[in-house]
Amino acid sequence: MGLIKEPKDVDFTVKSEPWTEEELADFRKLMKEIKSKKNKLRLSLTKSKRKKDLV
Amino acid sequence: MKRKKPKGLDFIVDKLTNSIENTSTGEVFDTEIVKFTIKDIAQIKKSGWVFDWTKELNDKSKKVYKLTTTNNPTIIQGLLSIEDKQDHIFMHLIESAKFNKGKNKIYFGVPGNLVAFACKISVDKGYEGFVAFDAKTDLIKHYEHSLGATHFRGLRMFIQTNAAIKLISQYFKS
Repeated sequence: MGLIKEPKDVDFTVKSEPWTEEELADFRKLMKEIKSKKNKLRLSLTKSKRKKDLV
Repeated sequence: MKRKKPKGLDFIVDKLTNSIENTSTGEVFDTEIVKFTIKDIAQIKKSGWVFDWTKELNDKSKKVYKLTTTNNPTIIQGLLSIEDKQDHIFMHLIESAKFNKGKNKIYFGVPGNLVAFACKISVDKGYEGFVAFDAKTDLIKHYEHSLGATHFRGLRMFIQTNAAIKLISQYFKS
């Protein structure tokens, strides 16, 4: 796979301001939801694979 | 507040090999990302950098890394300042060297390389690749497309597992 080439006229710079406690709490809640969805999907894929293996 | 013990493996990443590309010749150069310490400060001239990197180095909650080519480790191509938030990595600053900015930039891939490195640390620490940062308004779409970042709210953005893994595999050979 190749590198990500930023366009020549675009400078990718990051300067973050501190996130508020509320923003951090909301972000952590969202992370939890994303991780849990991912784990559920992984679990259902494992189950369906196991079913297939049994057939 | 009591700090949670990081999940998963926790080891010091001191060197990783990856690459950047010369914008005019297309030649690819192997690079290294290593810790940037106060001892290295002479390697950067204040006039060549927009952000105050000495301030970053003096902040004990942050870690600063430098990206150089393997052949020329004294010339810094870009700098990254991150903080371990115990469940994700927070990117405070990313800046490319003056000669890697604008239409005449020498190398492509410096910032992407540093973001991929932040993702790698997040994975290594057991945070499943989650990295948070702020973006300038006009760059939000660009980050969504180029990095696979997710817009959270306002200027806040983050990188989640799938995008992190993609970035790591694009930049790091092993």
